Amino acid sequence: MVSPSQKPSVSNNMAAPSRHVGHYIQRNSRILLNNFEQLWSHRNFGWTSALRQQAAEANKEPTDTIVIPRKKTWSKEAVLEALSSTVGRDPTAYPYNFQDDPFLSPRTVNEFKLCSLSKESGKSAAKFFINNNPKYFTTDFAEPHIPCLMPETVSLLLEDVSEEALKERVSLRKVTAAVEMYDQLLQSGTAVSMETTYDLLDLICLYCDKDPVEEGGAQSEDMEEPGEEVRQGLGKQGLGRQGLGRPRRASDIMKSSWKENNNAERIFNLLPERDTRCYSALIRGMVKHGAHAKAFSIYTDLLNNRLTADVHIFNALLTAAPDVRDKYHERWGLFAELLNQMSQQKVQPNLSTFNSVLKALRRCGSLAKTQAIHTLNEMKAMGIAPSLASYDHILNAFSKAASSSGAVSTDILQEVMSELEGTSFTCQDPDDVLFFSTAMKICLNNKDLELGYRVFNLVEHGENWRLLGPLHKQSFFYQCFFKLLCMMEHIDVVLTWYRKLVPSLYYPNIQCLQDLLQALDTDSRLDLLPTIWKDIRALGHDNKVELVEELLMLMARDKHSAEVQEAFAACALDIKNVTEADRRKTPMEWSTTSLSNITSLLLRANKTQEAWATLKLFKSKNRVPKEPLLEDFLSVCCSDGSSQRAVELVQLSAAFCLSDTAKLAKRTLAELDLTEEQRAVLSELESTGESSG
Amino acid sequence: MYRFLFRTVYTARKSSVHVYEACVLPAKCDKAAVFRFANGGGVKALSTCSVRLCEKKDNVASPIEEEKTLAEKPVDPTETPTLVTQKAEDDSKVIKMEEQREEEPVVLKTEDEGTTQQQVDVKTEQVEATPAEVNTVAAKSGKDSLLDILGGMKVVVTSKRKLRNLNAWESQDSTTNSKPAAMESTISMFQKATKEASSPSETLDPQLVAAASAAASTLPDSSQVASELLRQLRQQQTVTEAQKKGDMNNLGDIIADMRVGKKPNWKHSTRPVNQIQFDDDGPGYTHEKRINKELSSSRKKRVYLSGPRLDIFRHTTDKDGVESAVARPTLWDIVLANDLSLSTEQTHRNGLEEMIQWTKEGRMWQYPINNEAGLEEEASVPFHEHIFLEEHLQEGFPRQGPVRHFMELVVAGLSKNPYLTVQQKRDHISWFRDYFHQKEDVLKEAEVYLN
Repeated sequence: MVSPSQKPSVSNNMAAPSRHVGHYIQRNSRILLNNFEQLWSHRNFGWTSALRQQAAEANKEPTDTIVIPRKKTWSKEAVLEALSSTVGRDPTAYPYNFQDDPFLSPRTVNEFKLCSLSKESGKSAAKFFINNNPKYFTTDFAEPHIPCLMPETVSLLLEDVSEEALKERVSLRKVTAAVEMYDQLLQSGTAVSMETTYDLLDLICLYCDKDPVEEGGAQSEDMEEPGEEVRQGLGKQGLGRQGLGRPRRASDIMKSSWKENNNAERIFNLLPERDTRCYSALIRGMVKHGAHAKAFSIYTDLLNNRLTADVHIFNALLTAAPDVRDKYHERWGLFAELLNQMSQQKVQPNLSTFNSVLKALRRCGSLAKTQAIHTLNEMKAMGIAPSLASYDHILNAFSKAASSSGAVSTDILQEVMSELEGTSFTCQDPDDVLFFSTAMKICLNNKDLELGYRVFNLVEHGENWRLLGPLHKQSFFYQCFFKLLCMMEHIDVVLTWYRKLVPSLYYPNIQCLQDLLQALDTDSRLDLLPTIWKDIRALGHDNKVELVEELLMLMARDKHSAEVQEAFAACALDIKNVTEADRRKTPMEWSTTSLSNITSLLLRANKTQEAWATLKLFKSKNRVPKEPLLEDFLSVCCSDGSSQRAVELVQLSAAFCLSDTAKLAKRTLAELDLTEEQRAVLSELESTGESSG
Repeated sequence: MYRFLFRTVYTARKSSVHVYEACVLPAKCDKAAVFRFANGGGVKALSTCSVRLCEKKDNVASPIEEEKTLAEKPVDPTETPTLVTQKAEDDSKVIKMEEQREEEPVVLKTEDEGTTQQQVDVKTEQVEATPAEVNTVAAKSGKDSLLDILGGMKVVVTSKRKLRNLNAWESQDSTTNSKPAAMESTISMFQKATKEASSPSETLDPQLVAAASAAASTLPDSSQVASELLRQLRQQQTVTEAQKKGDMNNLGDIIADMRVGKKPNWKHSTRPVNQIQFDDDGPGYTHEKRINKELSSSRKKRVYLSGPRLDIFRHTTDKDGVESAVARPTLWDIVLANDLSLSTEQTHRNGLEEMIQWTKEGRMWQYPINNEAGLEEEASVPFHEHIFLEEHLQEGFPRQGPVRHFMELVVAGLSKNPYLTVQQKRDHISWFRDYFHQKEDVLKEAEVYLN
């Protein structure tokens, strides 16, 4: 830097025109120089970047070839999808479904379920009525015609014995009627074409020879088979649409078990020639309905007939494999054998082949870890992209095997996440929807906040949130995430998330709210408790004893500034009033501690009147107040100079037969201005208290 | 580094009209100024370049002067010799020169401090060469050669060293707060200087060789020094070439050393971009932890998910899979698809999603996605059937006359009407055909139906 001693020489050596500049510098501080320098370098920066850009453009022009973009075909929902992506979800409002009637807006999980169930069942009921009474709904108002508003055919139209009638019964999924029609056809000696036989076998095997009564018909967007949407039962159809925790159809059917020599087997045995397709239907049906060993014997039969199996047979058998072997390595041996047979019979595996293996590997104990990875790599080598379900199975295999060392499952989740990040998924496997909750659970178990954020971001990416699964899985996911936040994050961040998630996405349960209270306590933001209480009320948790008691305890534990105490007192009063006015089936039981907490909170805010009313509650609720509370109350009375209240207090204490009554009476006598009458009462109480004590 | 600088400067001077170069020039100038600051701080430690630097400074300054103010043009050539002479006269004298212009705030100053004897020798040598040229040749070419020589002379000092020096100065300075920005701009200027250097690289200038050998001759082991100097020159030239072609490794090294230039909160830069924004509210330790995590995750990446495969299947690209996809979906497929769609069914997040649902069900009017929206009926009709309707006049109409004329007008009108279907247009024409056919007698009588 320029040192002052050098300056004269500069001026001397300079040419004449710049002499005055030298003087200028001499006079001014060197900070000025610094400023100039900075100013200049800033400007230069601007120039250089601009110049570089210019140069880059010049370079680019000749090298670029013109790429004509391919024609883009838009779906008919494209405009709406684009608009919808700009709107997204409104975190400040209740879910969209319930916005039309604020009074009915659900506040708890149960109310949510109830609301959506009633809404959907109403729709289903209407549909059922329309479909079953099509003669009343013949007028077509819509122009152009809207098929889905018109009644659908649910009853059988063809009565004669023909293959057409059989086809109709199959497409309407009338299992029993179809079997009867088939028998009639056989008796009349009419040959049934192979295609129809396949369909019939599929139908019987899928529904295990029973009419799918409770079956919610397929959704109407399923256009492959028009007969699909015919049977809209009253039952569970709507629930699936609402993503509720409805048991899935597959599991409904699971309940029915495969019976020996049912119609499927009978028809199968009657067939003059049986090809792979028939075997496939039978084996899939058997595996689906729990006849695992039987499925394997049918498979042996197939091999004996010198037929080759198809990929569906193998997938079914792989699913069934863990049930026919007991030991882990035997199970794996069976998997390997089946896969080798697949390879020998030149059957190309598909996604569900590997997902079946991975799922079955979860029941292979210690073998699972290594073999699951091998399977995954085989999958990738075959050019089959693993779906979320594959990763879910792997995570499960690892977290089960390494339950003692959680680090392994975090590491594997890290790796999985780095593979998945930034991808938008479509549902390819029914188990895909389990992935996110599993991943979040691992994050919670290992208290890995950063990984939790990554998982959450993946859910938020694109349409991935649709893969969160049914309602209980969604709740579980958000619960894990929120708990993790409460544990690991700063309270301000937690509250931001809280506002974002509750109640538009997630109805927190008591545990979560307790976690939130603890987080508030940890970061000493207890002043926010009254707002949390409002949420607790809104969420319908105001009758949960443990939650309210914890809230009161946190409020009463420490003394705060007057302002905060005022808010706390108002909150405590609110809690009291709500509980007293509670007309629900399970009103909250007052405990001694919560009553004393309310009283002391009211006392601290100098609400003596209300505190006295609370104190009276002890008696009516058969609770006994603690002595320190009464002493506190007395001190307040003393400072207020309200002698009457003090005397009543001592009388109350005597009524509860507290041992400290004498002490209280003595103190009242000493510190307060009393009338003769009051003195007499107190002296008596003092003496009786002493004698009894 | 300096070589680039000089090249740019003197190309700039050659084509001084060019605006773009004119912009570069002050930039370069300023960079030199920054360097001189650096030198001023630690001249003693830095053995070589003070003298040279000061001269370079002058040379940088001169083109600007030339460009910007014609009047000052003579100042520079005169100034340079003066300075040089002064140096020649008293070798070890401390020269300090400051110059500032108010009209254009270029801060220029030169410092010179005590140099070693050897350097002074070199300097003297150079000085002897320079005035001669200045005197004999025109001022411009004199400066050219001076620039070249000076550029060539800078053989010992690597730019890296200078940067280090700069760093030292940076850390010494008490007002560090606002420095990083300045530093950054300097760095970017280096990069630019490298990129922008556009002058053709020729083999070593004979004059340069001459100057080098002359400088070497003053030293005891003259031949060795000369070859060393020349080797260094060539090496620098190759580096220049390499860097001009975009090989920025050297520069990368240099910049990598400049830790000072980074912002104090550099941790933020390593955070993933998709980090949720209000993370910033969080306590500091999470960041550190995150970085550690990231490092560790990158280190042991692919520990678990990599490994051998089962080696059961051979990956073949048969058409088997395609065939099965083409086949009619079985009941099983339908049920599976149904299950999948049910498991991804979620409640609508907004009204638009509900409308999407309705559109899929066919209950709602479709939003148009192209200009053919609502063209169900006419979708397969090509446009020319709408436009060229004359062919329908071929039969049943007279070839000329008023009727024909009238019909041509009708056809012209129809072809411009977008609201009728092709069939309606045809019907319209055939109505006229029938009409005129019925009235044929009347028309013939009036001698207007010519056929």
